[in-house]
Amino acid sequence: MIPGWEATPGRLYVLATAIPLVVTLLLALAGMLRGWVRPLRARGGVAQTLYWVLGGDVPLRAGAYLAVAGMTLTALLSLLGLTLFLTQTATADSAGGCWAERIDWVRVGPMVAPGDALGTENVAAALPALALQVGYRIDALTAVLFAMVAVVSLCIFVFALGYMDEETQAVVEDHEAQHQYHRHTPVRRRGRFGRFYLFLSLFCFAMLHLLIADNLFQIFVSWELVGVCSFWLIGFYQERPSASQAANKAFIMNRVGDAGFLIGIAIAWSHLGTLNLDEIFRRLRGAEGGAGEIRRVQVLSTSEAGLEYVVVTGNDWPAQHVLLHPLTEQKREVFRDATESATANLHDYTVMPYWLWLVMGLGIFLGCVGKSAQWPLHTWLPDAMEGPTPVSALIHAATMVAAGVYLVGRCFPLFAPEVFLTIAYVGAITAFLAATIALVQTDIKRILAYSTCSQLGLMFLALGLGGWTAGLLHLVTHAFFKALLFLGAGSVIHACGHVQDITRLGGLYRKMPITALTMLVGVLAIAGFPFLSGWYSKERILSQVMGLGLYQPEHILLWLLPLLTTIMTSYYMFRLWLTVFTGPPRDKQLHDQVHESPAVMTVPLLVLAVLSGAGAWGWPLWEVEASWLGQVLEKAQPAMVREFAAITERGHQYHTWTGIVALACTLVGAAAAYLWFGRTPVTAEQLQVRTLVGRFLWQKWYFDEAYEAIWVRPTVRLASGIAAADKRSTTVEAGIAAHPPSPDRSEETTAEEATPPRFDWGTLDGWLNSLGDAAASGGAAVQQWQSGRLRLYVLTLALTVVVLLAMLVVLAG
Amino acid sequence: MTLSDVLFIVVAAVAAVSALGVVVSRHIVHMAVWLLFTLVGVSLVYFWLGAEFLGAAQLIVYVGGTLVLLVFGVMLTAQGPFRELRTPPVEWIIGGVTAALLLLLLAVVTWQVAQGGTTGQQPPGVAAIGLGLLGVHETVSETTLSGLPAGNVVGRTPVAYLLPFEIISVHLLVVLIGAAYLARARRPAAFRTGSDTATTPLETSSPDLTPGSVQPAVVVSAPTPALPTDSSSSEESRQPPQF
Amino acid sequence: MGEMGYYAVLLLGAWLFVCGVTCLALKRNALGVLMGVELVLNAANVNLVAAARYTPAFRLEGQIFALLVIVLAAAEAAVALAIMLHYYNTYATVDVDKAQQLRG
Repeated sequence: MIPGWEATPGRLYVLATAIPLVVTLLLALAGMLRGWVRPLRARGGVAQTLYWVLGGDVPLRAGAYLAVAGMTLTALLSLLGLTLFLTQTATADSAGGCWAERIDWVRVGPMVAPGDALGTENVAAALPALALQVGYRIDALTAVLFAMVAVVSLCIFVFALGYMDEETQAVVEDHEAQHQYHRHTPVRRRGRFGRFYLFLSLFCFAMLHLLIADNLFQIFVSWELVGVCSFWLIGFYQERPSASQAANKAFIMNRVGDAGFLIGIAIAWSHLGTLNLDEIFRRLRGAEGGAGEIRRVQVLSTSEAGLEYVVVTGNDWPAQHVLLHPLTEQKREVFRDATESATANLHDYTVMPYWLWLVMGLGIFLGCVGKSAQWPLHTWLPDAMEGPTPVSALIHAATMVAAGVYLVGRCFPLFAPEVFLTIAYVGAITAFLAATIALVQTDIKRILAYSTCSQLGLMFLALGLGGWTAGLLHLVTHAFFKALLFLGAGSVIHACGHVQDITRLGGLYRKMPITALTMLVGVLAIAGFPFLSGWYSKERILSQVMGLGLYQPEHILLWLLPLLTTIMTSYYMFRLWLTVFTGPPRDKQLHDQVHESPAVMTVPLLVLAVLSGAGAWGWPLWEVEASWLGQVLEKAQPAMVREFAAITERGHQYHTWTGIVALACTLVGAAAAYLWFGRTPVTAEQLQVRTLVGRFLWQKWYFDEAYEAIWVRPTVRLASGIAAADKRSTTVEAGIAAHPPSPDRSEETTAEEATPPRFDWGTLDGWLNSLGDAAASGGAAVQQWQSGRLRLYVLTLALTVVVLLAMLVVLAG
Repeated sequence: MTLSDVLFIVVAAVAAVSALGVVVSRHIVHMAVWLLFTLVGVSLVYFWLGAEFLGAAQLIVYVGGTLVLLVFGVMLTAQGPFRELRTPPVEWIIGGVTAALLLLLLAVVTWQVAQGGTTGQQPPGVAAIGLGLLGVHETVSETTLSGLPAGNVVGRTPVAYLLPFEIISVHLLVVLIGAAYLARARRPAAFRTGSDTATTPLETSSPDLTPGSVQPAVVVSAPTPALPTDSSSSEESRQPPQF
Repeated sequence: MGEMGYYAVLLLGAWLFVCGVTCLALKRNALGVLMGVELVLNAANVNLVAAARYTPAFRLEGQIFALLVIVLAAAEAAVALAIMLHYYNTYATVDVDKAQQLRG
């Protein structure tokens, strides 16, 4: 398949990643060809044949099948890769073992640093070039997440075949979009089946590439690709103003985060000299891929000969620098551990300001905050529900928001302790905030969206507390049950004719039993009922949280909020399920036309239900620590997690109690939901919020309004102010439109006198206009000489000869 | 002043005065005649300079060939207003001043050039030129060809002009074909008469007229800006002669 | 004296040249322009022959070059005349002042 893939099995992953990209390109090519031949379709011949082969007026179904086939292949390859990885003892046993290859893509620095010229030592000869590299790196984390993304994406792809069936029609009427000119007229457009699968494939490619990338540069590229794909897919119904606004919002919010990410990358590049993650970790934490501790030093002096510093232990104030390890392994380790003062060769060891290191970590985390929709950049995720439901499932489970958590897990060793604390707090706040909002929402997809925010918050919290395995295990299990929940919601929405409001649904259990039961599995899993996949990951997270509560009880929010979140999660998920599937139908007319979704949609639900249920099982079943998936992930756990040993150990110690508390929280929430919604029929009015707190939560803590007031409106005002300085007023525009500008000077001047003087009249515009005028008049002047009159040319020539000869005579004679 | 000098002055005066005649005369036929005298005068100067072959070539090629060609051109085009196209007086003044300045400067420059000249050199004979064009350099048979001792020409590298000769002949062939191509009789649509007129824009503007009877008023209003407005209104006289 | 003769012939060449250039510059008739060109070429030829007569280095070359120039001038005249007639056929005029555009 690939030459030598048995020797380098990592290339399997490269192939698996490339398949969605190839599918994307093929779909784009087909669409392009179809667009080209469309004007010629009536003429017959090749163009007509090609047009009908490519689907004609109806969107091409084959494109979707191609995408599904490609995704199937990718999923199979990913499972094969996972199996291979886990059975290869050499890589699987040792911590940090991985398949990796990389090549220099762009060399921007010298191969030889000026060390030789300085004559200190022959140190610089082996310095690597400053280079942008391209490579892949497969470790247990990548392998597991890759398989997860591929399988979940495959389920979503198949589901979308059924869900998006109306996009296969030649004409789709979008009743939610208003026609540009004729209000109350639905927009009629062509179905966009192929385009949908094109974007989905690209989305998956971006995410898979992000997973196998071994350096920040490649991660950033896929990061942006993920962002733009989400933009396209959220705005898939581009005729709807709400959809395009949501797409813009998601994109802009992500830009904020990406700016931070870029800052982090820039700092890594400028101070560490590499973007390769392993290299970064090694520079910061020494050999063995970053197993060591950060060495904080006080620099006494730097000279060309060497660097004199004092090692500072603890978090004492004068330690303003972080000691960076040599660029290459060949350098001898002159580092002496216990000494108070040491001298190192300047070219071996360099330092980096501690605050810059902090900023680097915070910047990268800011990128994750944007991508994973954490407070304070969480507002885009619920709005992203404007996209089709499979897109929501993809964003929430497999591709987009997972990227942020993954990156935090991946960049774990480069964060400072302060950054970890920030991560934990942001996660805890988001988890609580989103859960409270989800309590009162009535849109089925919005509830799920806020639950995603909340669960992601829990993951970040776990990561911030050193629960590396807990956070990432929850990422995987959450992907399973959140994809299941979203696809279940999609099944409901599809069956109910795009009704998403739970105040109009109800009693659907008898109509769609498969959807109801599979969703129940998802609800139980997310709530954390024992022996479902969510239980294993959630237990671990809460164990970590309890460990912190016992170790540092002063961080009260960090252990109180997750417990509250657990109660609320259980409550609102059961509220959702009970409201939608039990009780009497609230909208009789709607209820009558509902029927179970076709197999193409229910089979993915069943697969995901199995995964949500058994995805994290291990033996013995009742031991959280025995989870097979968790054990696989633990192999990829970076060695520096031991810095959090104090928390983790306490968590282990009181493990049983944690389990009881967590289960109690879950049961309390579930019981509350049952008491409220399960026993007696709840009317639509009862689902509406009435209290002040309820309205506050219904309005999402007024975050949108606050951002609108703080950021959007001042920006718009500033922009319109600047635009007003630049543009002519509307009246003048109208006047110019009425009287098109004439070459006559006098008319123009009168028109100008009539308008108030513009700000840029004498500044930028004035300068540029005069430049242009000068060029034009100069051209007009010179143009006189290019009259085409031969005799004038000859005369000019003769005069030139006269002048030249005169110069010759005067100068030479 | 020897007889030779007198002869030169007379011949040069003929050439110079008739060259001036070419410049100042307005009538194109007069110009052609003045040019004839100039060319003859120049050929006489060649003879005076000892380049008899060149003088003969000048007479044959220029006077017999080129000038005849020019006269043909004159005859074909010299009609109506083209016989005397007047140049504005302002241009005459500018041109005259420029010419005077140019002449002055050339006189100064040629004075410097003339300092390098020597006398007593005999021109090569016709045979030398012919052999040179055929690629045979003259050093071998210098004495026998021009009657001068071989040592008279010092330090000259052997020359041969076969290659330029060939280039010139190919060039002439190309020119011949080019000239024939350019001057071939291709009559533009605006000049077509008879049955062809049905396709001209003149006809489409007045569909009620029968072909060939286009009236002058229609012609003036027709969109054919390339037509000269000062020519006579008759269709026949506007038709240029064919070449 | 010989130098004076050289100078005299060169002066004749200069005179013919100036006359030719003036013709080029002032004649509106295309044929007049052609005649100016002939004059300029003749001026060059006179100079060449004079150089052949008065400088050793150009003894043969001067005449041969002049011969080549004569031939080229003939060719040039033929082509120029053809162009002119074509122009006349197209625009029905020989006034070079009317020929101000590049396209035919």
